[in-house]
Amino acid sequence: MARSLILIAVIVLILGGLFFLLRPDPQAGVPRDRTIAVSVEGGEMSPAGISVKEGDRVTLRVSSDEPMELHLHGYDVEQEVGPKQKARLRFRADLTGRFEIEDHESERELGVLQVRPG
Amino acid sequence: MNVRTRRVTAAALSFSLILTGARPALAHGFGPTYDIPIPLWLYLYGAAAAVVLAFLPLALFSRKERDAPYQYPSFDLLRVRLLRTLLTSRLLTGGLRLLSVALFFVVVIAGLVGLQSGFNIAPTFVWITWWVGLSFFTAFVGNVWPLVNPWGVLSDWAEGLARRFGYRDGLELGQSYPEALGIWPAVGLYLVFVWIENVFSGSYVPRNIALFALAYALITLYGMAFFGKETWLRRGEAFSVFFGLLGRFAPTEVRVKDPDVCQDCDGCDYDAGGGCVNCYECFAHAAPDERELNLRPPAVGLGLPEKVPPGGVAFVILVLAGVTFDGLLETSLWLEILRLTPVTQTLGVILLPLLFLGIYLGFVELSRILGGGVGFGRLAGAYAFSLVPIAIAYQMAHYYTYLLIQGQMMISLVSDPLGWGWNLLGTADFEPRYGIVGAGFVWYSQVALIVAGHVIAVYLAHSISLRLLRDPVRAFRGQLPMLVLMVLYTMTSLWILAQPIVE
Repeated sequence: MARSLILIAVIVLILGGLFFLLRPDPQAGVPRDRTIAVSVEGGEMSPAGISVKEGDRVTLRVSSDEPMELHLHGYDVEQEVGPKQKARLRFRADLTGRFEIEDHESERELGVLQVRPG
Repeated sequence: MNVRTRRVTAAALSFSLILTGARPALAHGFGPTYDIPIPLWLYLYGAAAAVVLAFLPLALFSRKERDAPYQYPSFDLLRVRLLRTLLTSRLLTGGLRLLSVALFFVVVIAGLVGLQSGFNIAPTFVWITWWVGLSFFTAFVGNVWPLVNPWGVLSDWAEGLARRFGYRDGLELGQSYPEALGIWPAVGLYLVFVWIENVFSGSYVPRNIALFALAYALITLYGMAFFGKETWLRRGEAFSVFFGLLGRFAPTEVRVKDPDVCQDCDGCDYDAGGGCVNCYECFAHAAPDERELNLRPPAVGLGLPEKVPPGGVAFVILVLAGVTFDGLLETSLWLEILRLTPVTQTLGVILLPLLFLGIYLGFVELSRILGGGVGFGRLAGAYAFSLVPIAIAYQMAHYYTYLLIQGQMMISLVSDPLGWGWNLLGTADFEPRYGIVGAGFVWYSQVALIVAGHVIAVYLAHSISLRLLRDPVRAFRGQLPMLVLMVLYTMTSLWILAQPIVE
């Protein structure tokens, strides 16, 4: 019985220690202002994947070669955009995870926003 | 050629367009994932934990009695009067069976005549509520499929009607089932299901779902009529076999006390007292005072000694490979090296289980060489069930966010199942909430689940080894290859979760 308890204590110590050793400093990432230029051409968004950190104040400056209704899933931000009309999508990245960006009219997926936990 | 064009090409070549002309749907039937890959440090941490914790059951339980898996604490829920009245009431069981048949027809009708793109209850109900939801319920609560299986219920009703109208022998043709076939029909049907889930690009199209459900209903009804209901459900009905496997993990079991009743049912697990456990056919026929509905420690059902039918090992490996395949498909490794075409995907669905089976049998052979004592075939059968917790943990880690987020769609779908603009319950405009679980929580819970499943699997392999080999030293040596295999598999699962998602 005593042997088992010692064993469990040792394993808990090893795994606990390893966790704090490997985990990056949670204070390291302060929220930033991020402005990202995005262009949609022929139904392809470039860059296709946007990656930000939780808490970032994000501005997407979008241009497109055809008129569409840009929709960011999860955040439910929507903007019309077209050849003559650039769009600006602003939001605070409070939801973490992976969210699709689509053209709401054709329901075509254009790209993905990834919000990493802060 | 980029990923999207490749996907469209893949879809164009596959059956969906030929059959229905529908637009290509998602790579698998679940809709978009909201999970982001686990970071490298957490992957390394999970892998390290898998190695360290693998030795925990060995160190803690090595001197326990060999027959430990026969005996475990259990509590009969039917001894509590309130629970007995509730759980055995005809209103509850009959209601659930009626609901299940009704849902089957709702799915078929919605699939055939409902809106084909967008709002339709069939895809969400089948893939999220039934496939993901019911498999979690079965593994973590108990196996209700034998009670609610809609085709079983339909067969019972037809049987009852036939008897009432004077066919005294019922509808079963009573052909004898070739025993050598074992559960291979279920293995084959489950393989088709894995293919539909992961490869078939029209798996989210309501009409396809309805047609598949109808075709499968015909196969099942025919199989039950031809060979007898219980015979087919136990050997040919892929989902009865699948949920039965998960039910072995569940913290509940149904048990019949009287050994005489158990004698008449085949393929059951017998406990020390001669009663039979999770023998649903016997349970249905047993007298009320012979029945027990027990709470028990989770996963003990996977350690019970029993004969594994032909195909049993293949089925477990197929389940394991199936859940891995779904994750693997989304990795860039798969896309870059193997290319996404229906042909390579289909080859993958067939070859990955074969590869898994080969690796498993190789490690079983190593175990036989190191531990000795027991023949290869018996060893292969005995260890197979110990892999099930790994499959359940991965399935849970991979899909639980789908259930939480996509599952909310059911709230609006019940008000408008066909997508015709109805609002039966006033919930049609409900919008799913996305922020229920943050990505950080998802990361930690995924790693925790996979490592926990791994530890349970190692423990099971340990107790199986002790039971078979008796001698602790030989049992230790004999299970080492299994331990290595489990560590390798767990690292693969974690690695897949750490990969960037490509669609």
